[in-house]
Amino acid sequence: MTAVAVRLVRLHAASRRLPAALVLVAACAAGLRGALYGHWDSYGALQLPLIFEAGSAAVIAVTAGSPFGEPERATGRWLPFLRLGATVTLTGLAVGALAVAGAGLPLAGGFPDIVRNVAGLTGIGLLCAAALSGPLGWTGPLAYLVVGLYGLYTDWHPPALSTPWIWPARPPYDAGGALCAAVVFAAGLAAITIRGARASPGG
Amino acid sequence: MTNVTEARGTGAAVLGSGRLLRIELRHNAMLWLLPVAIALFWYNGYREIMALPPMWNLRAMTLQNRLLLDLTIPVTAAAAWMGSREGRRSITDLVAVTARPRWSRQLAIWAATTAWAEVACLACVAVVYVMTARQASWGGPLWWPVVVSAAGVPALTAIGFAAGAWFPGRFVTPLVTLVVFFGLGFSTQAASGDHSYWQISPLTAGAFDIGAAPSVATFYPYLPDLSIAQLMFTAGLTVAVLGALGIPVARMRWLAAAVTAVGLAAAGTAVALAGTGRLDPHGMIVIPALHTAAGDQPLRYTPVCGHAPILVCVNPAYAPLLPAVTAAVGSELTEFAGLPGAPARLSQVPQAYQQGPGNGIEIIAGEPSTSAFIIPEPVPGQPGGTSAQFASQLAEALGLKLAQDVILGGAPAGVNPSQAELAVIAGSVRFPSSVGPRDLGPLYGSVLPEPGSPADLAAKRFATLSPAARNAWLAGHLAALRAGRVSLSQLP
Repeated sequence: MTAVAVRLVRLHAASRRLPAALVLVAACAAGLRGALYGHWDSYGALQLPLIFEAGSAAVIAVTAGSPFGEPERATGRWLPFLRLGATVTLTGLAVGALAVAGAGLPLAGGFPDIVRNVAGLTGIGLLCAAALSGPLGWTGPLAYLVVGLYGLYTDWHPPALSTPWIWPARPPYDAGGALCAAVVFAAGLAAITIRGARASPGG
Repeated sequence: MTNVTEARGTGAAVLGSGRLLRIELRHNAMLWLLPVAIALFWYNGYREIMALPPMWNLRAMTLQNRLLLDLTIPVTAAAAWMGSREGRRSITDLVAVTARPRWSRQLAIWAATTAWAEVACLACVAVVYVMTARQASWGGPLWWPVVVSAAGVPALTAIGFAAGAWFPGRFVTPLVTLVVFFGLGFSTQAASGDHSYWQISPLTAGAFDIGAAPSVATFYPYLPDLSIAQLMFTAGLTVAVLGALGIPVARMRWLAAAVTAVGLAAAGTAVALAGTGRLDPHGMIVIPALHTAAGDQPLRYTPVCGHAPILVCVNPAYAPLLPAVTAAVGSELTEFAGLPGAPARLSQVPQAYQQGPGNGIEIIAGEPSTSAFIIPEPVPGQPGGTSAQFASQLAEALGLKLAQDVILGGAPAGVNPSQAELAVIAGSVRFPSSVGPRDLGPLYGSVLPEPGSPADLAAKRFATLSPAARNAWLAGHLAALRAGRVSLSQLP
């Protein structure tokens, strides 16, 4: 990797506030770890991880926004690759951080749940960033959080929601839920790679 | 001349504030999030509330538990977004030179956001209450849960707005929203017992481990004690946060600090009051400093009665359940009607509650007389309540008690009933198929015969008779049966 490429990656990361995003993703993981030490009833234990997963996904989605807009699009030949790389890296780090946070503690759903939920929620966030703008990328993951929490609630209070599109309510190894989350993540990733976040006055 | 100028100045300021508010109302993020807020409530809260039996207490208390939480994400996010607007668009310095102080401008934005959020809140309440008014058999709307929910909205917007104004970064909106959602949604999990300070959460309606129960606030008024403390807390929190927004403004620092202090004092007092709560026998939280004796007076009502041979009368709020009650114990009502010791009428009485260790609740009301009964909970339509479960609980609670009262004739405790008496009781009570030996185990030997015993076989034989035939036989043999002069072989 040349020095120019490294500089390009560094500048792209800085423009997207990736360092701050990393800190916040780590804070989400720390929050999950701290919360797992608490005593929760069944609802709490089931629903708790989804909140921190949604937080990480919202942070990733918000980083999709560019402060430069059109000039960057016009000159940035490597921009799609930088967007793709930044998003995939952040998502992977978020999954890893949350998995480490849950290690050794009773984390509902375990690692498969984290991968599926973070990927799906991030996909929703990226689609929102592409459609609404980067700074509004959080709207999707947070709205979906309520939907997912209710889905988990219905696991206790039937009739349970069985659609795989509400994947947080599905068992960790459920293929349908994983597929839906993967499709949404792929769609979000494609949208943000090819098109980028919609430009907004706020950047 | 000075008065006229001052009056003009005040009028212009009011007019200007009104104009500013109107502008902010038209350019507010909450306006765009109204459909999201309403959709989330419909998805998460409304469907479950409307699935509950149409009782005002159940639906109003569940509404308080759900509505504010469902609104938390859109409302807090919109407020944080609006609060961070000037910083996000880098126009803080530009607007700082306008004639209006920053605090005043911020309050206008907050007020506009809160106004739209209240529209969402009250629209949700209106739909639930209008639908309930059309379905409920008795009672009227409970307003305290609505007041608490509506008072929680400004607190959410104040916290979101202040976070956005103080930290106008791109990440602040999702983060503050999640923190508030987590704090509000999971704070009730820390509540333990009736003296818990965590009862101050505006999502808590009544005692934490009873929640919305059919008998709470049906026989006795809905106690406003906890609601008043919650109202005080949310109002105090709102005032404190909004006051803190003004502290950086040089000319208003002392005023803002005083407002903040007043708000914090109110919120702190409310938390302290919540900690003095205690569970009253009717299932609600009494806060001595806020309690009035009027809340202890039972509500007046005209019972609704069924048409069985023994009249079964319930609180009119339970009228939709009356057919299920009479159906569950229909044969017993026919069989025992008119017999010595059988009541002419069975009247529903409220159950009484007592705080147990932790969040445990003990139901301490026994059935005080032969003519009183309790409707078991949960009723069909409540979470965890099914028609089959309701019928089996009624058979055990009401059918078995009725049989016991009539056949044993109020025999003192400790007197062993004869095998014939046990056989008649077992042959008289219709337990649904869902009730198995494991459920009835504790009753064997004392009220019911052991499975497979001669008395059990006699009970099965007796059960094949129609209720009218059993009634006719008991009319002629009840005295002898009670006196122990009827053997198993003499049972029909």
